[in-house]
Amino acid sequence: MSIPAAQMAAVAKYVLEQRLAGREKYPLVLMLEPLFRCNLSCTGCGKIQYPVSILKKDLSVEDCLRASEECEAPVVSIAGGEPLLHPQISAIAQGLVERGRFVYLCTNALLLERKLDEFRPDKHLSFSVHMDGPREEHDLAVCREGVYEVAVNAIRAALDRGFRVTTNTTLFEGADPERMRRFFDDMMGLGVEGMMISPGYSYEKAPDQEHFLRRERSHKLFSRMLTNPKRSWRFNQSPFFLQFLMGKRDFDCTPWGNPTYNVFGWQRPCYLLQDGYARTFRELMEETDWSKYGRKSGNPRCQDCMVHCGFEPSAVRATFASPRSLTESALAMVTGRL
Amino acid sequence: MNEAFPSEPRLSELVERAFDYRGYVTVLRSDGSEMIGYLYDRGPAHVDLLDETATRRTRLSRDEIVDIRFTGDDPVRKSQEIWERRKGSLEPRDSPAHGEWAGSRPVLLAVALEQELQHVARALGLRRHRASARGRLQGSDIVALAVGVGGSARVVSDEEPRVVVSCGFCGALDPTLEAGDLVLATSVRAPGSEAVRAPDALLAQAHRALSGLPFYEGEVLGTSAVAATPDDKRALGASGALAVDMETHSLALAANKAGIPWLSVRAVLDPQGVTLPRFAREPRKSYLTAALRHALSSPRGAMEIARLASAARRAGASLEEAIRRLWKVLA
Repeated sequence: MSIPAAQMAAVAKYVLEQRLAGREKYPLVLMLEPLFRCNLSCTGCGKIQYPVSILKKDLSVEDCLRASEECEAPVVSIAGGEPLLHPQISAIAQGLVERGRFVYLCTNALLLERKLDEFRPDKHLSFSVHMDGPREEHDLAVCREGVYEVAVNAIRAALDRGFRVTTNTTLFEGADPERMRRFFDDMMGLGVEGMMISPGYSYEKAPDQEHFLRRERSHKLFSRMLTNPKRSWRFNQSPFFLQFLMGKRDFDCTPWGNPTYNVFGWQRPCYLLQDGYARTFRELMEETDWSKYGRKSGNPRCQDCMVHCGFEPSAVRATFASPRSLTESALAMVTGRL
Repeated sequence: MNEAFPSEPRLSELVERAFDYRGYVTVLRSDGSEMIGYLYDRGPAHVDLLDETATRRTRLSRDEIVDIRFTGDDPVRKSQEIWERRKGSLEPRDSPAHGEWAGSRPVLLAVALEQELQHVARALGLRRHRASARGRLQGSDIVALAVGVGGSARVVSDEEPRVVVSCGFCGALDPTLEAGDLVLATSVRAPGSEAVRAPDALLAQAHRALSGLPFYEGEVLGTSAVAATPDDKRALGASGALAVDMETHSLALAANKAGIPWLSVRAVLDPQGVTLPRFAREPRKSYLTAALRHALSSPRGAMEIARLASAARRAGASLEEAIRRLWKVLA
């Protein structure tokens, strides 16, 4: 596991403070979408289908920082759209870093190399580069030739300049476990800090509706990929979440764990479902009927979802649930065994 | 004019469909007026609309809604149609990195050497990292690159700029030009080829921006070798060109081919009567070591370097002032 010690300590301190304060529901990661426009149109993405005037809309730096202050989550994941198309993205990232947040700037990396000058390397800032598998699979998923190569070059350039870099991989039906294992080797060979993996969510608005993984298929795929993990692999995720993907643990979703803020407001209930918007973070937390979401709720849109934005917070909660689980998680981190 | 109100189940169904719809809808109100917008949320007694410019939010009471029509294009259907149409075939490798969002294309300032880049970076307050300096000023993205002597015009296709500015130092072909004088190119020509004209509108704006500075307007000659001696420069000057450099011609051709406006502003480093030292006649990445060696080789060499350094300081200062003024036009 590869989450830096300072980040782990900050998250652990935050979680313990929430527990000591007796808070049942608290956010771990703010999903910040400062824009919806993108320079790719990926086969499994349902995030960018809006009229042009909405696609052209940007959240201001002030909006983004205010959202982070409202929500107080220690980690901020800047998603979109393609964040590097935002004209003030470096100011947003810098403002969040100055507020002590750990920022993951998610990018397809098409513009990363040419935008690096705008950023300063910092232990609080990581570029999370979208890599959906080996060259052929990645270019197919993003529907454009040569994107894998551009992303690899951008990763090298960012690492050369002293930036933290992680990868973010979404998996779909048809992924080959053996090829994915070699892909993990390739990414670690590049020198990235860690990898994030997750099955894709079956967005209703995505163009390709045929390749979303169902729950059982996800368990099989992740189990084959992650059984006997190599010592060299580092994942920027909690061991319990990876074990959940493999079917070794079961959690229900924590939909408030990664609240989402975008040009419409605070999205109910989560990053993936759009059931409306709250004007404030407090309104989101207090006035959303959370019982309608998660697998146990019977909500059909939640039945096959295993995405990290809902289940990583569950895994973290489970980690801190008892001294025994904390020890199990620490052991998995040290040994790399899942 | 009052319209008939829909039944509650019918209204609920319409509102849910509109909420799920990713395009614009037209809401017909009981007072006969219409409101076009994106319906992004709804509650038991209201709907929330974002107007067509995506700037104004309006909350409407459900009580005043007579009908909702799905009048805007459906982006979901459009995206599915595109995907179906090109199923299996990928967008080509050279698709623009900014996608269709041309508004964020940068201004490209191309110089030959890192020393020239330093002046551009200083003028615009950019941080330089080796051969590039990037940033944002007054709402515009800037990319400044040292492309090398005679450098590659590939930067134009790589960076997809909205304007190309060839800037840096040049040699004077006109005997009246002195070190530090500025040359604004009306056109650029390679010996024996047709002139490439700078776009009139941008040129006129640049002319206004530079007024008050010692600048000259005219043709610039693009060569593939350094014009080092007064004889070389006199021969090239017979064409009527004011100055010579090795980058503007290829950058202007590439910009014209891509339909991008271009501009060239150069500061004179070596007047027509000056002979450049031998080391300066070969294209190099950096002239620093060679210049030091030349300065240490003889007293005459030291004098030549001192004169060249003084000219470079004047040219650099002029270039910085020109870039600062031009930026108001470029931004």
